[in-house]
Amino acid sequence: MSVVLTARTHALPFKLAVLATAALTVSVLALPGVAAAETRTFVVGYFGQATHNVQDSECPAGINPDVTVQYLKNLVTLGYSQAEIDKMVNQSADNEGGSVNEIMRMRGRVNGQPTNPYAYPASVTDPKLNAMTGGKYAYGFDLDGKGAESPKAFEDPETHQAGVDNEMARAFGCSRAFRGSVNARSAYWSWAWAQLKDSQPAWVITITGADLAKDGDVTVTFDRALHYLKSNIDGTPRADTTYRIDPDPRSHNVLPGRLKDGVIQITEHGSFRMLQNPMVVNDFKLTNTHMRLNLKPDGTLDGILGGYQLWADIYSGFAHSAPAMEVCITGDIPGLYYLLKRHADAQPDPKTGENSAISTSYTLMAVPAFVVSPDGKLAGGG
Amino acid sequence: MRPTPINFSKVRFALALGLGASLAACTVDAPKSAAVPAVLAGAANVGVPGLEPITRRLTPEQYENVIADVFGPAIILGGRFEPEMRVGGLLAVGSSAVSMTATGMEQYDVMARKIAAQVVDESQRKMMIPCAPAAANAPDDACVAKFMGKVGRLIYRRPLTQTELAAYVTAAHAATEKAGDFHRGLSLSLSAMLSSPKFLFRQETLEPDPRNPGTMRIDAYAKAARLSFFLWNAGPDQALLAAAESGALNTAKGLAGEVDRMLASPRLETGVRAFFTDNFGFDEFALLTKDVVLFPKFSPRVAADAQEQTLKTIVDLLLKNRGDYRDVFTTKKTFMTQELGAVYRVPVINDGPNGAPDAWQPFEFSADDPRGGILTQVAFTSLHSPPGRGSPTLRGKALREVILCQKVPAPPAAVSFNIVQDTHHPIYKTARERLTAHATESMCTGCHKIIDPMGLALENFDGAGAYRTTENGQPINTSGALDGVPFDGAAKLGQVIHDHPATSACLVNRLASYALGQQLPAGDAWLKDSTAFFATNGYRLADLMRRLATSDGFYRLKPPAEAPKAQSASAASAQ
Repeated sequence: MSVVLTARTHALPFKLAVLATAALTVSVLALPGVAAAETRTFVVGYFGQATHNVQDSECPAGINPDVTVQYLKNLVTLGYSQAEIDKMVNQSADNEGGSVNEIMRMRGRVNGQPTNPYAYPASVTDPKLNAMTGGKYAYGFDLDGKGAESPKAFEDPETHQAGVDNEMARAFGCSRAFRGSVNARSAYWSWAWAQLKDSQPAWVITITGADLAKDGDVTVTFDRALHYLKSNIDGTPRADTTYRIDPDPRSHNVLPGRLKDGVIQITEHGSFRMLQNPMVVNDFKLTNTHMRLNLKPDGTLDGILGGYQLWADIYSGFAHSAPAMEVCITGDIPGLYYLLKRHADAQPDPKTGENSAISTSYTLMAVPAFVVSPDGKLAGGG
Repeated sequence: MRPTPINFSKVRFALALGLGASLAACTVDAPKSAAVPAVLAGAANVGVPGLEPITRRLTPEQYENVIADVFGPAIILGGRFEPEMRVGGLLAVGSSAVSMTATGMEQYDVMARKIAAQVVDESQRKMMIPCAPAAANAPDDACVAKFMGKVGRLIYRRPLTQTELAAYVTAAHAATEKAGDFHRGLSLSLSAMLSSPKFLFRQETLEPDPRNPGTMRIDAYAKAARLSFFLWNAGPDQALLAAAESGALNTAKGLAGEVDRMLASPRLETGVRAFFTDNFGFDEFALLTKDVVLFPKFSPRVAADAQEQTLKTIVDLLLKNRGDYRDVFTTKKTFMTQELGAVYRVPVINDGPNGAPDAWQPFEFSADDPRGGILTQVAFTSLHSPPGRGSPTLRGKALREVILCQKVPAPPAAVSFNIVQDTHHPIYKTARERLTAHATESMCTGCHKIIDPMGLALENFDGAGAYRTTENGQPINTSGALDGVPFDGAAKLGQVIHDHPATSACLVNRLASYALGQQLPAGDAWLKDSTAFFATNGYRLADLMRRLATSDGFYRLKPPAEAPKAQSASAASAQ
């Protein structure tokens, strides 16, 4: 079935005379699944954990301390006396963290020997960081299908759906670096996106449907581009730029969905996979994928992506950037390991029975873009 | 062992005193001692009013081009140029009105030293200097003379006189003895040459005109320089200097031959770009700012690409395709980069590696696209807009002045622009409504009547050149009329300008003024003749340039008000 391209702002009557490696024309783009007549394409301009932390009462046990306090607790755990700690702290003050940092970077213990705590987080005694126990809201979806009866479930602050499973929000909700909201992004995810956007191929979204101004079936396709996201002079994502899709099938996701009142919900909840970046998650994978996307009047798109994610994958991003990131951004990284492990709520290991996946939700926003498929066909604009 | 420090400044000062021309008197030490002060010039050599002999300061681009021609493009200048001045809409005309400040001279001195140091640098000298000294720590006058004579011919745009060459050799000799280093001595002499007014200013030497006894003409070397800076925006090459030296340039056949050779050269593109860059005021992009909140896509890269887009459009149409000049206002063909594509909202794929420079790609808007012609390109619409909005007034004024050569008076001092600038005015939603309200002030009406309709036709383009159909939710009305000819929209305006008789006449006027460094008098017969030629020869730019460069009117001189006959005669007899 063919697709007729439309443009967001004005009709795009153009003829692209010569392109370096491909002669592109405005043409039909065949996509499976939907009797489609309209295509809109976007490039993801932000992607990070969907957080909704609005008040400290979400953490009745308190917000987790930053490293300057947590490290002192860790020294006590390691068996240092208060006098030794005081001495080290005084020396460290003259030496930019000096010996305290050095001890912390090898605070794991295996057979009594100092060990890298980031590569071997289980070698560290669990610092028992606080998780969010007082909050009611978190973005996401009812992944386990238990609805409001699920005792640990949240309510989505946007849709007010009950039974939302989002244990990653609970696990990290009392760590300052992860606290934030969709409009006031958390320190960690802001930092992460700033690293990612200029160092990894952009993600592009193609939405096809019979008429995207009306309710109906649609197909949402996620692909990875060959080029990084282009940014405006103020750092915001640059609209109306052209991206060529990477033919690598690992980052190709075709998701059937339904558009209703300007909101797309995917209707099949399989797996989702996009190659990302070792700085955050090398290989971003979800199972039981849920997604809702808002087609906004200004031509942009935003939404929530949720599902179960292997918590070890999430932890690996923290470990890769330690120890600098521990000091500057995340706080105690082995502590995050234990939080993830404790709050994992899916995919139990057949042998140990421990859950290997955790319910998550991510927020994304995207701006209109032109997208060229691997076979040279062009789809244009949001 | 450390080299002996030399007080170069004293030596250089002495050289400047000895070798620098007296600009105030406009006298030069020409090779054949035929020159006389320009003010003593004789009658015009054609049947139209003559032109003032002038001296022009090299523009930064001309300076760069000369240095690149003489020493190669890898030479780093490493200094700042004196600000330029726009007169009559052209920096080229302003170049004859500017002087040199002490600070500016310091900067030229800095550049001269840096250039000279690179030329004599151990890594470069074998390639740059045509001889090796007999000893590295002792003077070698013959080698200095060989080098300075060779480069001096290109830097001074004529052969050095024996006096000049001897002075440079003497300076290098003395400096070498003091420094104990031949190349340091040579560097000093070269930097003095590069600081000389004879390089930095284009002085046109006069000589008696044998075709019209008792009158003067610019000499063949000055003619060569006038040609090369006009056609290539660079100094004369060896072939052109040879034609000047042989006298061929003073013959119609020889002149035509050289002009044709230069027009056939790829360097013509440099000259054409320089003219349009000046004519369109693209130097003002250096000061152009846009509100990043309102126009986040408008980056420095977009600004640079926008200028290049317009220049590429012009070069492609006028030079590569020998097209009709008027079509630059209607052509649908242009070039795009990915950066520009985002502003135009058209797809432009860049398949280079991440971070690679944007590749230029040919692009053609469809026949019914609202864009067409350079007036609808980002360069024009963004340059003639304030930081936070578009401006029909500035755009209309630029159209009148730059494209049609019609002078628009400056606004009255006491006028209020409050309504015009209030883009969120609760009543006047569109620029047309705001200007209509503003123009009710009697002192504003006249000018706005002639400039606003043209500018309003471009209101579909916001302050950064992006297309829009509404402003504050209101549809934009782009209809109007230019000198009684109605239009609706930018594309139609382009067609009206294409057909307007002032358009081509203005181009001829601007091009001639640019080449000659002075505004030509109203009703100049040579201009009229050139304009008629342009019209009857398909409005082809290269043909017009040839016509100008080979005509007597291009080299004519104005007779002095009171020619001191005794001195003229004396000078003539010296020849």
